Amino acid sequence: MENLQIRLRQNAGILTAIGIFVLFYVFYNFNHPRGFAPAIFIQNSNEVFTLAMVAMAQTMAVLLGGLDLSVGAIMTLVNCLASYLLVGSPLQIILGFIVCMAAGAACGFLNGCIVVYGRIQPIIATLATGAIFIGIALFLRPSPGGNVDDDLSWVMTNDLYEIAATYGFFDDGEAAWFQPIAWFPVPLLLIILIAVLVWVPFSRSVTGRTVYAIGSGEGAAYMSGLAINRAKIAAFTLGGFFAGLGGIYLTLQTSSGNADIPQAGAYTLNSIAAVVIGGTSLLGGIGSAIGSIFGALILRTISFNFRIFEIDPLMQPLFEGVVLLAAVSLGAIRVLRVKNTLDLFR
Amino acid sequence: MLKAGFFLTTALAMGVAATTAFAGPEKVSGPGHDPECFAPWNDEIGYFQWEAREGPHKIAVVNGFVGNTWRIQMIQTAKAFVEQPEIASQIEDFKVVSTGTDVAAQLGAIEDFINQGYDGIVTIAVSPEGFDRVIRLADRNDVVLVPFDNVLDTDKVMQVNEDQLEMGRMYGRWLLEQLGDKRSGKVLEVRGLQGNSVDRDRHLGFREVFEPAGDWEIVEVVGNWDDGTAQKVTADAIAVHNNFDAIVVQGGTTGTVRAMLDAGHPMVPIAGESENGFRKQLAEYGDDGLKGISIGQSPGMVAIAIKAALAALDGNVMPQLISLPIPHADYTEMEAGKNYWPDLTDNFFTVNEFPPCGVNITAPEIMAKDAEDVK
Repeated sequence: MENLQIRLRQNAGILTAIGIFVLFYVFYNFNHPRGFAPAIFIQNSNEVFTLAMVAMAQTMAVLLGGLDLSVGAIMTLVNCLASYLLVGSPLQIILGFIVCMAAGAACGFLNGCIVVYGRIQPIIATLATGAIFIGIALFLRPSPGGNVDDDLSWVMTNDLYEIAATYGFFDDGEAAWFQPIAWFPVPLLLIILIAVLVWVPFSRSVTGRTVYAIGSGEGAAYMSGLAINRAKIAAFTLGGFFAGLGGIYLTLQTSSGNADIPQAGAYTLNSIAAVVIGGTSLLGGIGSAIGSIFGALILRTISFNFRIFEIDPLMQPLFEGVVLLAAVSLGAIRVLRVKNTLDLFR
Repeated sequence: MLKAGFFLTTALAMGVAATTAFAGPEKVSGPGHDPECFAPWNDEIGYFQWEAREGPHKIAVVNGFVGNTWRIQMIQTAKAFVEQPEIASQIEDFKVVSTGTDVAAQLGAIEDFINQGYDGIVTIAVSPEGFDRVIRLADRNDVVLVPFDNVLDTDKVMQVNEDQLEMGRMYGRWLLEQLGDKRSGKVLEVRGLQGNSVDRDRHLGFREVFEPAGDWEIVEVVGNWDDGTAQKVTADAIAVHNNFDAIVVQGGTTGTVRAMLDAGHPMVPIAGESENGFRKQLAEYGDDGLKGISIGQSPGMVAIAIKAALAALDGNVMPQLISLPIPHADYTEMEAGKNYWPDLTDNFFTVNEFPPCGVNITAPEIMAKDAEDVK
């Protein structure tokens, strides 16, 4: 019992985020003429995937106590790269995926090295590298365009049935055992897989725990003999990898690459918002990338509702801001229960 | 049971797409419906015909970026247009959303309206590429998707725009006319947002007409379609080059003229956009010899896009790419309260009406409208 209480308190941020998300999303679906239908889940998970990935990427820097201003740029760079590579024979496509993922990770690795060896604050280092990445993206795609395997982009943005039907698995997706899961959206499955197979093992490894330790107190982490440099580089590299995944998905979703600078900026800013809403502390050391996924979901779900309700179009940004502020304030509700004023500074 | 139901609907919907035999408009041959209003872009353009269906229809506008006067004016025009009795009777439900510069959000919004069972969706695309999936979905669900203003690089959807190349040519032709026999000299070209197809096309159109006509030195600066930027770069250009024989401005014309007046530059012919500020200047300094032509990309285009969607839903034959007449007025035609408004702000766009299409909403009518009273 005691144990459960502690766990609840430790995860208050993410639990609040999940609660807010469920509330908003159920509300949206109840009011949608075709609410709770698979087509809606597919559409929504498509819309959220890239932001969820970029938010996970941002989480890595925030856990260290910094900010990564290059996540949108890495996403854009990989988007432009992938718009060249995701065509051809299956082998070429697989190779393309690997190159794109490696490119994202390499960008993150570069960030990490500059932060660690250049001893520059992450926010400044990534401001600079972000500009470089956008520059490369513009070089790759001076004007929007590109070519992506049609079947691939179609199945990746639909449900599991579509994969089976298109590539002839499980009796073209008609196998009886397959039916109960056939409606499941591919992007949602991918988010879950990435969270479970990449984030969870990382956060439980020594390197992952070192990241949290650095965020809580770098000096203490150093004095405890933790491999600080390695953990920082690993965190940024993983961040680049996540942002790269977002870029790959954006490519599949749009069948093209676009070195869109305002869009890159919007993703970076939204990723920070998603991280905070997801219960991760900007001071570092508290939170998780899974929380950020829910943060991204909340951000998106707020604007979903504009499509259902009569809200004056020119009032929508104001409305979105107010709801956002309310959501963030809910996360800060713990302040009311603080017994010692000094706790406010933590 | 519930899940089986889920599956069935998806399987039915997806099955259609997998065999690529999706519905959507039929490709037919012209001529199209009401060519006065829905003029085909050129002779090679194809024609679409959707199955006619009973009204009233559900229409949505999916805007991208919001935050400049043009976009706000566009939204207000859309709202005012669907309130007109003749249009209102055809529309059951009307929604406007702005999704920002994020393509995923815009695609999501379009898909949401398709899923909600909307009949027509008009949109200003955030990116000229990347809409294949929603086009496929729209066709499958027989939704009429109409990109306008920033259109897509595809011939699979019906689109509405003004011919930007022609607009550039008009700049060139008018300036040549004004320059009379003069066939050499220096010309200032103030360009728009770099990398944008509108900027590219206006530039190319202007050069196509202007360059072969004489021995010109054309000085290019980038004004980003913005008054402040245009004013600054024009001032710089005048400081460096002293004298120009003519000026062409894609946008931010008010700023360019201000810079010219401030520098005491002689009055030379200016071809510019349709900002109210520029037209006010043309009226005010006309006596001092300021000559100009004001040609505009009209926010009223949204009304034509909505009208085109409605016409398509009625089963009419529609051109794939609809070219709108380009509204223009030169310094001799300035009339206060008619094509410019002395007591209104500089930065709204004066041209809003398209008489051949029955779109008669003037700019001040729209800007005067309180956002609250149009629901």
